[in-house]
Amino acid sequence: MTPGMHWTCEQTEERLSDYIDDLLTAEDRAAFVAHVPSCEKCGPLFASVAHVVTNLHSIAEIDEPPRLVYAILNKTLGPRETVTGWQSLRRFARGLATMRFAYGALSLAATFLVLLTASGFNFRHPKMADLKPVNIYRKADAQAHLVYARGTKFVSDLRVVNEIQSRLRENEQAPVNSEDALPQRTPGKEPGSTDGTKPGPRQQNRADGIYRNLEVLADEMPVFGGLYGGRRTR
Amino acid sequence: MEQDAQLVQQCLQGDGSAWEELVRRHTRRIFNICYRFTGNRTESEDLSQDVFLRVYRTLASYRSAHGGFATWMTSVTRNLLIDHYRRTKRDRATDSLDDKMAIVENKESAGRRPDEQALLGELSGQVQAALTKLSPELREAVILRDLQQLEYIEIQRVLAVPEGTVKSRINRGRIELARVLQQMGVRPS
Repeated sequence: MTPGMHWTCEQTEERLSDYIDDLLTAEDRAAFVAHVPSCEKCGPLFASVAHVVTNLHSIAEIDEPPRLVYAILNKTLGPRETVTGWQSLRRFARGLATMRFAYGALSLAATFLVLLTASGFNFRHPKMADLKPVNIYRKADAQAHLVYARGTKFVSDLRVVNEIQSRLRENEQAPVNSEDALPQRTPGKEPGSTDGTKPGPRQQNRADGIYRNLEVLADEMPVFGGLYGGRRTR
Repeated sequence: MEQDAQLVQQCLQGDGSAWEELVRRHTRRIFNICYRFTGNRTESEDLSQDVFLRVYRTLASYRSAHGGFATWMTSVTRNLLIDHYRRTKRDRATDSLDDKMAIVENKESAGRRPDEQALLGELSGQVQAALTKLSPELREAVILRDLQQLEYIEIQRVLAVPEGTVKSRINRGRIELARVLQQMGVRPS
């Protein structure tokens, strides 16, 4: 301890918290620091109090019971309005009569309808057996295959149409110098027949199928109308 | 702090939601003060409700110029806790012998509900047990300073005593708490 600095054990006990809370002047602080560590009485006292303060600061707040806030509000603002019986049912029904709920219910019904249709459920002759998961799976599987097959056929037909269209364009663009260049029509032969024989039924069906698709396309897309109008009006 | 004053104004104009907001903001703090003072959850719940009821009834007497709403509310809490302490003094006198035995045998957890004991950590439980051994004057000073982390000036307002008295009580409270913990076998590591 430097001369002039005097600190007693009584001062330590009185001003221990001032040191901990940093309320001592610089001079008193220096005197405190010079005295306490070397004092047999003040050293342990300071250690125990500092330990307590550290512990107190490290203690977390405990959670209040969840019902406490409601209990306080009930005591101060009065009990919350509670509805029972028919009134509660009416309130519930009133809650359902909202646009949001209507949209939700509608979209749910539509989804259910789509799924049911996709599963092959027969609405005209409904059977409980149709609702069995195994049957739903089988029908859905069959439907999926059918849709895939139809899609494949449609794409194939589109390719044929595209091919025909491109050939017709080529013919239109080809220079025509004289009427001799035109192929002579063989009397007594149908167009498309080169060997003098009539087309077989399968060949004829395929051609008819293609033309049916062309008719559909012509209806949907006006650009085809001019090209296949003749066939349509036949 | 300003928000509290604004909510108080809205409450005084009859806004129930503003009061609800005030309750939600301060319930935990008030409950903790009560719990640290009494060491009993059920009593703390009841006391917290009483505090808010009194605050609600006397809200018009709050003046923001005299300090923050939280300080004013802590002051109301402190007054109620002291009233409660005086009311239950006789009950505690009967229990004091058991408490002393518990200290000697270092069985502080005895008599506490298992869920309470589980809720408190070991350290928190020991400090809580030691706190309840202090006189109410010293206990409230230590709780406000070291658990609620209030400034000296705020404690001065809450306790309505001079600064020197606040300092003295906090100092004596800490020393006394350290002594009780030592008696319980808790020593600085």
